[in-house]
Amino acid sequence: MKNKHRYQTEGEIYFQKQLFRSRIYFALAFCILLLLILLGRMTYLQWIGYNHYQSMAEGNRISVEPLPPVRGRIYDRNHALLADNQPIFTLKFSKDKMENLNKSFIDLQTLLPNLSEERLSKFYDRLNASSRYRQLYLPYTLSEQEAARFAAHSYQFPGMTLVAKLKRTYPFKDSAAHVLGYVGKINQSEYEQLEESSYAGTDVIGKLGIEKYYEPLLHGQPGIQQIETNARGRVIRKLETIPATPGKDIQLTLDIRLQRYIETLLDGKKAAVVVTEPETGEILAFVSSPAYDPNLFVDGISQKNYQALLNNPKRPLINRVINGQYPPGSTVKPFIALAAIENDIISPNTEIHDPGFLEYQDHRYRDWKRRGHGLVDMRKAIVESCDTYFYKLSLDMGIDLIHSSLTPFGFGHITKVDLQNESTGILPSRSWKRNVKNDDWYNGETIITSIGQGFFLATPLQLAKATSILANRGEIIQPRLLKSAPTFVIKKIAIEKTQNWERVIQAMEDTVHSIHGTAHAYARGLPFKMAGKTGTAQVFSLNEGEYNEDEITKNLRDHSLFIGFAPVDKPKIAISVIIENSTTKAAPVAIKIAKYYLEELSNED
Amino acid sequence: MKIDLPQRENVYRQKKGIWFSMHLDSWLLLGIFLLIITGSLIVYSASGSDLNVLIRHLTRVGFAFALMLFFAQIPPNIMRVYTPWIFLIGTLMLISVILFGEMGKGAQRWLDLGIVRFQPSEIMKLALPMMVAWLFAHDTFPPPRKKMLIGIGLVGLTAGLIIIQPDLGTSILIAMSGLFVLFFAGLSWRWIASAIAIVAASLPIVWNFYMYDYQKQRVLTFLNPESDPLGTGYHIIQSKIAIGSGGLEGKGLMGSTQAHLEFLPESTTDFIFAVFAEELGLIGVAALLTLYLLIIARGLYIASQAQDNFARLTAASLVMTLFVYVFVNIGMVSGILPVVGLPLPLISYGGSSMVTLMISFGILMSIQTHKKLLTS
Repeated sequence: MKNKHRYQTEGEIYFQKQLFRSRIYFALAFCILLLLILLGRMTYLQWIGYNHYQSMAEGNRISVEPLPPVRGRIYDRNHALLADNQPIFTLKFSKDKMENLNKSFIDLQTLLPNLSEERLSKFYDRLNASSRYRQLYLPYTLSEQEAARFAAHSYQFPGMTLVAKLKRTYPFKDSAAHVLGYVGKINQSEYEQLEESSYAGTDVIGKLGIEKYYEPLLHGQPGIQQIETNARGRVIRKLETIPATPGKDIQLTLDIRLQRYIETLLDGKKAAVVVTEPETGEILAFVSSPAYDPNLFVDGISQKNYQALLNNPKRPLINRVINGQYPPGSTVKPFIALAAIENDIISPNTEIHDPGFLEYQDHRYRDWKRRGHGLVDMRKAIVESCDTYFYKLSLDMGIDLIHSSLTPFGFGHITKVDLQNESTGILPSRSWKRNVKNDDWYNGETIITSIGQGFFLATPLQLAKATSILANRGEIIQPRLLKSAPTFVIKKIAIEKTQNWERVIQAMEDTVHSIHGTAHAYARGLPFKMAGKTGTAQVFSLNEGEYNEDEITKNLRDHSLFIGFAPVDKPKIAISVIIENSTTKAAPVAIKIAKYYLEELSNED
Repeated sequence: MKIDLPQRENVYRQKKGIWFSMHLDSWLLLGIFLLIITGSLIVYSASGSDLNVLIRHLTRVGFAFALMLFFAQIPPNIMRVYTPWIFLIGTLMLISVILFGEMGKGAQRWLDLGIVRFQPSEIMKLALPMMVAWLFAHDTFPPPRKKMLIGIGLVGLTAGLIIIQPDLGTSILIAMSGLFVLFFAGLSWRWIASAIAIVAASLPIVWNFYMYDYQKQRVLTFLNPESDPLGTGYHIIQSKIAIGSGGLEGKGLMGSTQAHLEFLPESTTDFIFAVFAEELGLIGVAALLTLYLLIIARGLYIASQAQDNFARLTAASLVMTLFVYVFVNIGMVSGILPVVGLPLPLISYGGSSMVTLMISFGILMSIQTHKKLLTS
């Protein structure tokens, strides 16, 4: 660099310095301005936005994991475990952390070949439809080998974690299935109704039976665990834990031994049996036969199994005890007789001649005994189950009196037992017929009502309740399944003369014990006194009663019924039995139940 | 040589401090120390109290500091003489990177010289502004139009070679360091205005024909980070959360949850400012920005006191480059600028940019302390 340049004049140097300086000042001002912009931005983020970002940082850091409550167990009256929680391995799916749903499921299918494709694809749909942050459990129990295999490959399955979980189990399988019901996956409509926070971390809910009725008691309240996690969701430490409130254990009034004894007696026949303790209304046995295994439903029942249950001609899914509505047949006779003598329609000693039929308005109403019972008083009418006696009686009483005096026994109303969707049965009346059939009441209908036929329908539980009231000599009880509920007598049926009760009960005792009694054949040598009444419910009315048992298919054969209680003086149990299509007689079943209970079980209490 | 009387403050001052005799500027040195101490603490915190990271950081700082000391001893005149050669070597290296460079992070920026791998673009951060300053060394300001055009040409050439790598961010920054020289040399405002207009007009063309997808993505994400919260927008969202959650006083040193729980990416390097802001709060941020401003002001003062054109222009340009680093980094981390991979000067975990930066401080100190004793 030689002196190529010319010398600068003083003015030029001054100008040059001024120019450079002005640029320096400009640059400094520019820097200050931009730094102030940065400061403004930081003020915005750190001061104004502090709360917002603070909570986002907390959200980043802290994840809240629900701690699902342990579902209350269900015991029978003697503390036998009816519904338990069993620890199992399953997979928890956190949808928000899953990457490729499709691929994960295909990989999972290969890893767990025992997991049925149907179940997996159902679960896939459920996961797809669920909200992003809801955690779901695979409805499948992994064996220990499968759990180990998954653990080894878990890196392939982001968002899926192997968890130990409690699964509802019913150790007695199909025993008392209709009482217990079952739990199952919460479905969309249930999910919309329930309080979301109390079901965080829980994906089953009571669907039926006690499990459903006492869901609020059994479920409990979930706890919360705050966990500090890093960006990859790994747990750094546990911060705060609010423990879950476990669901309450509940004790039922059932005696599972009696329940099982009855189930064995029925041996899968289509039948329903209810045994209650008349004094308290506690239900000792509640059998709807045949039953099903509720364990099948807990993880979601497979289509195949479900179809099999639906298509089973014996209809195991139906709860016959509260939803089976049967014509009560002759089992209503004691109630009608009581109403008649109480209302002075007839004296108990008045004898009526029975030629084997009643002729009324050109129609012959036949007695079950073709030749007739001859001279019949009230006692004989019950003991031998004379139809003609009640035909005549009913015409004197009229449907209104029959309706009003049978209503207090609970016919035509739900018993309010602690189960849902109970059927009401039908206690026919003029207004009922007007409302439902839009027709007048005819006296011929009164006649068949008096023997529990026609429109008359009752559930086995209603019969058991009515029998208990009879056994209590009028004290109305509330049948129930929960042991810890208080016993309260609602009211007493206003029947003034106690001897009226005793007369009817005596007739029922003779039905079981006297030589002509319809149940006598099965009660020989019974060491205690039992009162009862047999019944036959016509399923199919045939003209003029001409019916040949062999010609009619089994499904159309009449049902066999029995109600009763024992011991007569101080009743400990009341029983109602219905055997559909009379595949066996109801009376011997009831007598065996009473014998078993009074001799083997009741002494312990 | 007839030299016109310089003004009073240009005269070498008699007060000769100990730092001065070592060719160091005490004010700059103080600022650098404060930043390095702060930076080391934050790097240590952001690494999750990893002592090894801190030691490596301090080693690099030490190395860079030694280079600063070395460059401070070289008089500006000597630098000026070597400038064209260094620029030439840098240009050749850029060309060889294009031809033989290694792929690093999807772009060929690295040159492997057997012992060290480094980015030749780092050299150009210093070589380009010095080269343009060299060009105007003996001109009056503003220099003649022809020389201005040559300067622009040099800037364009260098930026072009770096764009090809491709490294848009660095090429823009390096181009700016060259353009700063033109600005300080007195480029007329009319030119500046028209240049800005041309750049603005050519943006759509650059977008459509010269930008890679990942570059476009960065800009798009910058415009709307929430559009892709787990993808490219993740960095910005998490860093804003870190900054915002720091509040006025911060969570305290080592208190960053965002970095410690690994929500914040690149927390020791490009995004370290977010950790700083989270731990020290708005008060800390204000202090840091003030510290940077003081360093920049001191640097511009040094430039204004420099004795010749080369020194003046070099000093001013290097200071402004430093400022651009600070502004772009903080702007990016706080979400007002797109994400470009750029460290925060003297705070981020040391890399090659730390070395370049310390060298430029060395040059500044040299300019300040190598003034000819003027006698009349």
